[in-house]
Amino acid sequence: MLSFTEALTHNPFLLFAVIAGIAASFASGIIGSYVVVKRIVSISGSIAHSVLGGMGLCVWLKRSFGLDYLLPLHGALGAGLLSALLIGWIHLKYREREDTVIALIWATGMSLGVIFLSLTPGYNVELLNFLFGNILWVSRQDILLLLGLDALIILTVAWFYRRFLAICFDETQAHLQGLRVSALYLLLLSLVAISVVLLIQVVGAILVIAMLAIPAAIASTFTFRFSTMMIIATGLGVLFNFSGIYLAYQWNWPPGATISLVAALAYTLSLLGKRRA
Amino acid sequence: MGTPLIVVEHVDFAYQDTLALEDASLVIQEGDFVGLFGPNGGGKTTLLKLLMGFLSPKKGKISILGRPPQAMGKQIGYVPQHLRFDRDFPISALDVVMLGCLSKLTWWGGYTKESKEKAYQALEKVGVSHKALAPFGTLSGGEAQRVLIARAIVDTPKLLILDEPTSSVDPAAEQSIYNLLVELNKTITIVMVTHDLQTVLDKVKRFLCVHRRVTSFQTKEICEHFALGLYHTPLTSTQHFSF
Repeated sequence: MLSFTEALTHNPFLLFAVIAGIAASFASGIIGSYVVVKRIVSISGSIAHSVLGGMGLCVWLKRSFGLDYLLPLHGALGAGLLSALLIGWIHLKYREREDTVIALIWATGMSLGVIFLSLTPGYNVELLNFLFGNILWVSRQDILLLLGLDALIILTVAWFYRRFLAICFDETQAHLQGLRVSALYLLLLSLVAISVVLLIQVVGAILVIAMLAIPAAIASTFTFRFSTMMIIATGLGVLFNFSGIYLAYQWNWPPGATISLVAALAYTLSLLGKRRA
Repeated sequence: MGTPLIVVEHVDFAYQDTLALEDASLVIQEGDFVGLFGPNGGGKTTLLKLLMGFLSPKKGKISILGRPPQAMGKQIGYVPQHLRFDRDFPISALDVVMLGCLSKLTWWGGYTKESKEKAYQALEKVGVSHKALAPFGTLSGGEAQRVLIARAIVDTPKLLILDEPTSSVDPAAEQSIYNLLVELNKTITIVMVTHDLQTVLDKVKRFLCVHRRVTSFQTKEICEHFALGLYHTPLTSTQHFSF
């Protein structure tokens, strides 16, 4: 067996995997920080799972009708944005039933995904990849799209940094100062949806929530500055991805699950360290 | 008499079927310092939300400096209870104050240098500039409340609204916060929700009791009513109350 570094230079799949992991780390570090401080982890989980519906739809359209230009990523992006806006709208209008609706969208998206995939002719390995991720499957085309989405997230957050921080900390104050709180909230949820799409490539729909919440949650124990929290969380994301892929390569484990496990282990250690301190 | 800052005329407000305010009227002059009290559920919070333009009256009219409250948000500084906030939120005291300058963001979404200077000055004014870079969650109750006051005044509003600013603050800090408010009242009109009428008796200029309707009291009238331990509007011959 080649050593990891040798494999990295010889095997484009492994190299793409590492690049995708790094791209995903930016999304998880930056947007994950908002998810943690705004306490929208369950909303993000719902968006992550509902994305499956869009992926299933795209795979079905592609195979059944020969629409070859469709990628599962396109469906994921569409479904993610749709459910983000739907959840946001419910949050703004019918707050009483919010958690029920979140669960409903979660389940509906997944059911649609499973049904579309079962309707799709041919043998389906996709479902497992969508659910648990398969970073070794990332293509050059995917990488370009992932980097584009990353750039979109970074630019939007750079522009709206203060305003997002304001609606996370105190919506009332933001409202008094004339900010369009509802629009900003929907924009933030849309960014969560985009991050989910990035992260699904790496860890899959079920484990996305680990990568959104864990790096940011650990980072928050190290700093009281929000921007620093984002930077630390991104760094941790890179670390988890890289070490996860490395271990997965060494032991022949599924990469997505290994990355999540590394992250969860680090979180547990940070909690223990915090208690002792 | 100054010009009226706030005029509320015959306002009704209901949440679905529950009436919160009924035929509420009041006038607050510029420079006033008003203590707002009343039973829980009596409509204090509703009144504040109406003044800040978050709710619109079902009936009646509210104007602030002659304009609807929705247009006057930037003229209002609001001080919530500090307990409402997440103590783990990664934000410094100075950054909390800067949130009072959100309406003056640059095109690329940053704060201006002037805003930063004003934020420091506001912290100095309330006496916590030495904690500017401290995490908001690590401040004592009194300090946190002062930071929130600094945030409310940083953009030089016409009206300062406070919601029980001294709940969960120790008595010494409480007195100094009230003294600070008296000082601020020289330039800003203040409306403050309070439960502790006796403590603020020599600070505020008058009281408004909100109990569906709004009734004005002079501070000298308040003691005997308060002594009864009852929140009620004046015992005039036409009104009957049961508790």
